[in-house]
Amino acid sequence: MGPNELVAAVRKDLLARFESLEKKSDILKAPELKDLFKQIPALEPHERAEFGQKINALSNELKELVASAAAPMQHLTPIDVTAPMDINAALPSFLPAEHGSVHPLMKEVEALSGIFERMGFSIEESREIDDQYHMFDALNFPKDHPARDDYDTFMTVEEDENGERFVAPAHTSTMQNRVLKKYATNLAKGQPIAAVVPDRVFRNEDLDARHEHTFYQVEGVYVHKGVHAGMLIATLQEFLSEYYKKTVEVRTNPFYFPFTEPSFEMALSCPFCEKAGCKVCSFEGWIELLGCGMIHPEVLKAANIDPTEYTGFAWGLGIDRLVMMKNGIEDVRHFESAKLTFLRQFND
Amino acid sequence: MKVSIQAVKQFTKVNLSTSELIQKINSQLGAIEDVIHTNDVYKDARIVKVVSAEKHPAADRLQVTRIDDGGQIKDVERDDDGLVQVVCGAPNVAAGMFAVWLPPRSVVPATYHDDDPFILGARELRGVMSQGMLAAADELAIGTDHEGILEINPGEWKPSELEITPGVLFADVYGLNDTVIDIENKMFTHRPDLFGQLGVAREIAGIQQQPFISPSWYSEAPTFTASKLLSLHQHNDAPEKVPRFMTVAIKGVEVKPSPLWLQCALVAMGSKPINNIVDVTNYIMLITSQPTHAYDYDLLRGNKITARMAATGETLTLLNQKTYTLSDDDIVIADSEGAIGLAGIMGGGNSEVSENTTNIVLEVATFDMYALRKTSMRHGLFTDALTRFNKGQSPRQNDYVMALLIKTILDVSPGEVASDVSDMKADSARQTVHCSAAFINERLGLDLTSNEIARLLTNVEFDVEASSDSINITVPFWRTDISLPEDVVEEVGRLYSFDELPRELPMRSSMPVQKNAFRSVKQGIRSSLTRFGANEVLTYSFVHEKVLTKATQNPALAYKLSNALSPDLQYYRLSITPSLLDKTHMNIKAGYSSFALYEFGKAHMKEMMSDDEPSVPEEVSTVAMIVTDKKATDAAYFMAKRYAQTVLGNASEYQVVPLQEAQDSLGKWQQQLVAPYEPARSAVIRVGDAVIGVVGEFKHAVRSAFKLPQYTAGFEFDMSHLQPTLSTYKPLSKYPEVTQDLSLVVDANTRFDQLYSLVQDTLQKHEDMQCSITPLSVYQATDNTAVKTISFRITALSYTTTLRDKDVTSLLDSVVAAAAEKLNATRG
Repeated sequence: MGPNELVAAVRKDLLARFESLEKKSDILKAPELKDLFKQIPALEPHERAEFGQKINALSNELKELVASAAAPMQHLTPIDVTAPMDINAALPSFLPAEHGSVHPLMKEVEALSGIFERMGFSIEESREIDDQYHMFDALNFPKDHPARDDYDTFMTVEEDENGERFVAPAHTSTMQNRVLKKYATNLAKGQPIAAVVPDRVFRNEDLDARHEHTFYQVEGVYVHKGVHAGMLIATLQEFLSEYYKKTVEVRTNPFYFPFTEPSFEMALSCPFCEKAGCKVCSFEGWIELLGCGMIHPEVLKAANIDPTEYTGFAWGLGIDRLVMMKNGIEDVRHFESAKLTFLRQFND
Repeated sequence: MKVSIQAVKQFTKVNLSTSELIQKINSQLGAIEDVIHTNDVYKDARIVKVVSAEKHPAADRLQVTRIDDGGQIKDVERDDDGLVQVVCGAPNVAAGMFAVWLPPRSVVPATYHDDDPFILGARELRGVMSQGMLAAADELAIGTDHEGILEINPGEWKPSELEITPGVLFADVYGLNDTVIDIENKMFTHRPDLFGQLGVAREIAGIQQQPFISPSWYSEAPTFTASKLLSLHQHNDAPEKVPRFMTVAIKGVEVKPSPLWLQCALVAMGSKPINNIVDVTNYIMLITSQPTHAYDYDLLRGNKITARMAATGETLTLLNQKTYTLSDDDIVIADSEGAIGLAGIMGGGNSEVSENTTNIVLEVATFDMYALRKTSMRHGLFTDALTRFNKGQSPRQNDYVMALLIKTILDVSPGEVASDVSDMKADSARQTVHCSAAFINERLGLDLTSNEIARLLTNVEFDVEASSDSINITVPFWRTDISLPEDVVEEVGRLYSFDELPRELPMRSSMPVQKNAFRSVKQGIRSSLTRFGANEVLTYSFVHEKVLTKATQNPALAYKLSNALSPDLQYYRLSITPSLLDKTHMNIKAGYSSFALYEFGKAHMKEMMSDDEPSVPEEVSTVAMIVTDKKATDAAYFMAKRYAQTVLGNASEYQVVPLQEAQDSLGKWQQQLVAPYEPARSAVIRVGDAVIGVVGEFKHAVRSAFKLPQYTAGFEFDMSHLQPTLSTYKPLSKYPEVTQDLSLVVDANTRFDQLYSLVQDTLQKHEDMQCSITPLSVYQATDNTAVKTISFRITALSYTTTLRDKDVTSLLDSVVAAAAEKLNATRG
């Protein structure tokens, strides 16, 4: 057993013993804890610091447990949980309605979803933990391909049944294979597959005012007979015009994604300054907004759809940025801060 | 990828203005990150002739020169001959030489991009007036040399037709009157050929709809002459990972600074000059996108060069002077004794070309992109060569590049080919793709003829056989990204311009879109919690181990990230409640004394796999809320419960069971869910046999760990069991309803729900009346805690008759009787 496992094993024993102890402070006198400290000198010098820190952390944890156990037990007398109110107390009244707020990102997710729903798209949710098959393989990312680097993906220590680590999806396309399969029967009925997935994604990226490791994206797919790249551009342009309630221009530039061919990025004419240049568009007149393309034949095949008969398009659009631009939010980190000072400004 | 328009113009005509070209590149090649006008940097630098140089009267190291700028600069002090006086400290300044002059009011190019650029003036140096300065290479940002001023050699080759005459612009002569367009590398993940100026030039021709013709050195197969002047054992011991390995020895080179044109060309393409040999290897890479490398022949032990897999534990010190311990997944270049370079990434320090080098070995190789990527990730090494190799360089270009490399080396240095050009390679055939105009048009919404498509493709040197119903394409050898008809669609669409495609919305039928039922539930909960004054929050899906332990959950059950950004984001959440607890104290400190936070999130636990998809973890979608008040002192539980009821809905059949009673029957995940909750003051919610959530106050240890006010409670529910709240309607009666209050005194230990359901059951037996029960109060006298009084308001209604008080009185009597019998209650 290595030193780290040893600390973990001792910790487990001591925590179990703590629960059963009458006199909780006795746990601090446990001989196992002293034995751990005694082992330090016997270790290789480079191992000592880490091992020492681990023992100290354990010791502190136990001290905290003892301290909280020793504090007077206020108000923890049993209550009748089946009653609607406490003894001699009125039925509690709710907080003032005007304090309530919906998270601005969620409000936007609903707004976007509403537009797509009116355009004929079903709404699906994504996952927060997935396997590499759905995140990469089913999306035509070759194994070990450098394209996998572009999505600095969080991975778990734990592995799936194929010995691959689970991932925190870096884009909601992780649902694409499932969505295509779920609606594949539409095609035989002459109906398109049309769905959007607005949800949370993760990138291993350092935090600053413009970068979040956790953010929201709306992925969309549309598959039918005779779908072409011009329809992709038209559909997104129509969506953006509806969203901004004005006619916007869009332009594309070629890009590379393994899961689409051809692939582009799309920019829209700045809806805040009509291309004159303003702070929102960094005086460019255009705002880079989304990645999109025609679904790669291998991705269709992975969902048992015949790419010679059906074609389709897909896109991924960041939601956080839309909300920031719309409300003039200066720091993306506010979104996940749970600060009421921030949230209560969105109580309309 | 920095693209020099001057370099591009060597290969193709550019008929557009710079701004049109930039726009076209952006829409048909890749997004532009930056545009650098190098001409701005050098706009004032002029080539001048040093007419005289005399020792400064008051300083040993300085010389006073008079220079001829052809009279180009206005407003500068001149002598009677029209010459300008400049004091210079460089040892190499001499009468008769050509140098580069930075006149007064010009910016020193090396500081051009600084926040505070250095602007020259006219000033006295030890009592002698000096107008601007004569520039050294480092001041011109074309090298590191500060030993002396840059000397212009009028006899040396230069990229322009201009004569070296006094006053001519330095940038015009050496091609620095350039525009450099920086295109995002991400655009070219699949385009190895676009990491060289040649490849970009081809595309620029293509998007201008003009045919491109590769220079002869890239299109006519070279022949190499045999030589045995130097002994060189050339091998490839890893043909699996090294599809092509070409090497050659060159004898008698002279390592020195590159000619100025080469230095300037490197600078324009974003590189920096080192020495002529290294500069040429870099230049060839920047032009062709094929990385090349030069080794010092005399440092190769056993006169051997080979590509092989490293031995595990083998160490290698690279040009960056860092030592790496290798594994057998790393490809190395080696001599007879050990590694001399990390293949495709960086050369070794032990074979570096230096001032003393006289013989060199040149390498033009192709390596497995996946192997290189792994090596690079493992050692954290990222170089320009790697950037190119890991896009998958074509192994069919090496011989062309080798021939150009040898020729260019011998242009900038004496020397001669001293060995055979060895070429170890696997055969590879050029890719062919069959498609049709119909296939392409269907995917682009266009109506192009086969010939029109063929023209777009042949412009960028595809071989195309087009007929009315088929298009057969042989892919150029430098394109490793095209193998499917869809790849050809992209090529045609891009060269045609995606922005020009017909924009039409897909036609759809009037079939309604199915609503997502789960999202409707969520939306219902969101609107009711918000309506009752709660604030929706979002918190990270990952938490610190401490958040779990503070909530007395077990971190060993939580999925753990192996590459977390920080310990704060290390564990997937076992439930959402701890995140909310973690955000409570902060908001109290910010001045909010009473609030409720709620969040929709997903809970995960190791080994809890999805029922529908057993290969991936189950995700339990939950809704969690906490409500807190800094000042209140009564039981927060009842507040949380009220909120919980709005979530659970009126219609659902659910039971509120004290946590204490339910604890032993909880599943593994439910145990973690309830872990922070105080058993004596919490309840689980059961639907049928399933425990769907918990509502309650928090354990003392949890409250103190998260610094929570005493009045804090919360809930969390598995949303898969929740349904949209539906209103239930009862028809109105013609007859008035009758209301009476009823108080019952019961033993203090009698649970409210026992009495409530008894009252309810009894009332339901009276089928002629519809009764509703509203709890009014639970009263306990301070001097008698053995009993409590529970009061209800009972409203009775009939659809057939006008109820009289006595009807209701007898109704209540039956309730009292039942309560007396079952619960020993008395009327209060």
